[in-house]
Amino acid sequence: MAPLEDLERDYPIIDSNFRMFCASHGIFTDTDFLLHDLSALEAFARQDYAPDKLEQGIKQMISIIESGQRPWLNGVELLEDSQLNKCTLSTGCEGIDILLQGGLREGHVTELVGPSCSGKTQICLKSASHVARNSLGKVVYFDTGNSFSPKRVAQFLSLLSDPSATQTNKAVERDMSSIVCHSVFDIFTLLDMLRQLMNNLRSQISFQVRMLIIDSLSSLIAPVLGGGGAHGHALMATAGFLLKEIAHESNLCVVVTNHMVAGEAGMLKPALGESWKSIPHVRLLLSGKYSATGTRITILKHPYLVCPSQKKLLMSILQYWHPLRMKASGKSADFVVL
Amino acid sequence: MTSAFSWIAADETAEQALVRIYKKRPFLIFPPPFHRLPLRAGNVVEIVGPSPSAKTLILIQAAINCILPKEWKGVSYGGLERAVLFIDLDCRFDVSSISRALQRRIIDANGLRRSSLKGNGNEYDKELFVSSMRRFLYTRCYNSFEFLATLKTLHHRIQQEKGGSAVYMLLIDSIGAFYWMDRALPTSSTGNNNNRKSLSLQTVVETVVQEIQRLLVAHPMLVLATKSAAFGDKQSITEVIRKRPDEKMPDPRDAQNKPHRCFMPSVWQSFVSHRMLLRALDGESKHQNRPTFSTEWLLPPLNCSDHFTVNDGCLLIPK
Repeated sequence: MAPLEDLERDYPIIDSNFRMFCASHGIFTDTDFLLHDLSALEAFARQDYAPDKLEQGIKQMISIIESGQRPWLNGVELLEDSQLNKCTLSTGCEGIDILLQGGLREGHVTELVGPSCSGKTQICLKSASHVARNSLGKVVYFDTGNSFSPKRVAQFLSLLSDPSATQTNKAVERDMSSIVCHSVFDIFTLLDMLRQLMNNLRSQISFQVRMLIIDSLSSLIAPVLGGGGAHGHALMATAGFLLKEIAHESNLCVVVTNHMVAGEAGMLKPALGESWKSIPHVRLLLSGKYSATGTRITILKHPYLVCPSQKKLLMSILQYWHPLRMKASGKSADFVVL
Repeated sequence: MTSAFSWIAADETAEQALVRIYKKRPFLIFPPPFHRLPLRAGNVVEIVGPSPSAKTLILIQAAINCILPKEWKGVSYGGLERAVLFIDLDCRFDVSSISRALQRRIIDANGLRRSSLKGNGNEYDKELFVSSMRRFLYTRCYNSFEFLATLKTLHHRIQQEKGGSAVYMLLIDSIGAFYWMDRALPTSSTGNNNNRKSLSLQTVVETVVQEIQRLLVAHPMLVLATKSAAFGDKQSITEVIRKRPDEKMPDPRDAQNKPHRCFMPSVWQSFVSHRMLLRALDGESKHQNRPTFSTEWLLPPLNCSDHFTVNDGCLLIPK
């Protein structure tokens, strides 16, 4: 929303004469220009005493708008971009990789939904460690509930490396330094940091980031939703679109987590309501029943994989131990994480 | 005096007018789910449904029907061979969905059955595939102002596309995507002096409708827009439905009786000429593993509904 005066520096045709003409029609910024009827404006310009300069000014504004736009791509260019830039990142959990035919896709916003203690944070930590180990790039982790555990990440990384290698500790340290963790406790800080991240990525300041994890996004948004006003939903929509823009333009994989609330007839449903449903690309539901064989994961929504209405499930074996329990027992990891 | 008489003289008879209109903008019957009503350029069709229903899939199928040629190397595909503009406001479109669906359509039309799972599936006419995909034009907008900027410069862009006669469809995915963000737009605190248009949902939607109308005058196109609807979800948290043990679970088909709430301003609602409602059906597909949906025309109201299932990116009409 830039006022028209700022444009005069680069485009001298937008002089004070033109701005006075625009002001007489109620146009002060470039967004006002977008809301206005351009052909009516041109007709008024023709009746003014200096029609040529005004018409040139209008044409200049239109070309400024055009130059700031994204180009139209045809199907072939889209396919090329998708094949070149958007690869699939494995999460390290075999069940999810099989379910999603390869893993998490760059350019997609993936949502993990489940009741508490269903394994969402563990999947996030596992994916972060896997991506840090295997890809050349950073992982940015926004932690809203102090659930990020460096010990757990170190466990995952030490499992991934070859037990016979002597440089295990150094490798683990190097990989852990590519996971950047920030604590975020409210939605406004989150929006701020996302915009900063987007600017950094655009100007290539920071090192290449491959994955962005927000655990959990719903704990930031749920307090502002509700009430009669539209601001809560607007903040949610703004955050959602920012995430989608970051994912697509910078070729990142974005993972967010969501909790569940009570719904109709005592059944649980994902939080954040109906308007959130259309924001993530992929929604995965983790059922809360942790059993000896593992947790169930269902696809709720996917751009091109068929989402079965009958909730066909795929077993994913994800046994894990609580980090505190590990401390108490004092033993090193002796568990199977697939 | 002759100029005054020329005002009163008729330009053409009604019969001539009808013939001219039917020739320039013919009614076309599209494949299902649009097969019940003929559509022509200049119609604005709104596809309403909760999330997730197969709305984007319907748009993709309509796009495929438009970009394929009528006939290629002896095989008839029944397409229109015209270009399609896809404005992605939801920003969730994945090009793999249209490329898979197009490949499957080409393979099916050629009668090649995929005998093995991975073997013969790749044998399709790549030249046809590439020439069809070239007719699919795509852009995405992350907020209302980018959308307005796209609409304002669209006329120029269409002119670039082979002289402007080749674009037939404008697909808008989720016209209500920016609804919440626009509702919370900061309104100007200086009031209405300087006759400045206040930024609000109303003015944004009015401008969108105005720009699309202007575009349709210059380039007659068929406009398909999706919109996600909410079926009476104004339940408060305190309302817990208690059921007796002998009662069945509330049938999700009860949603059919609840009218959907249209949240777009009336400017958009009156601009729409046709409206179709989509619903997901849960109960019947226990035998097959595929999701089933039902469609129903709300505007003009037809009292029948069709069903279709989704199988690997294609719509199938069962029975």
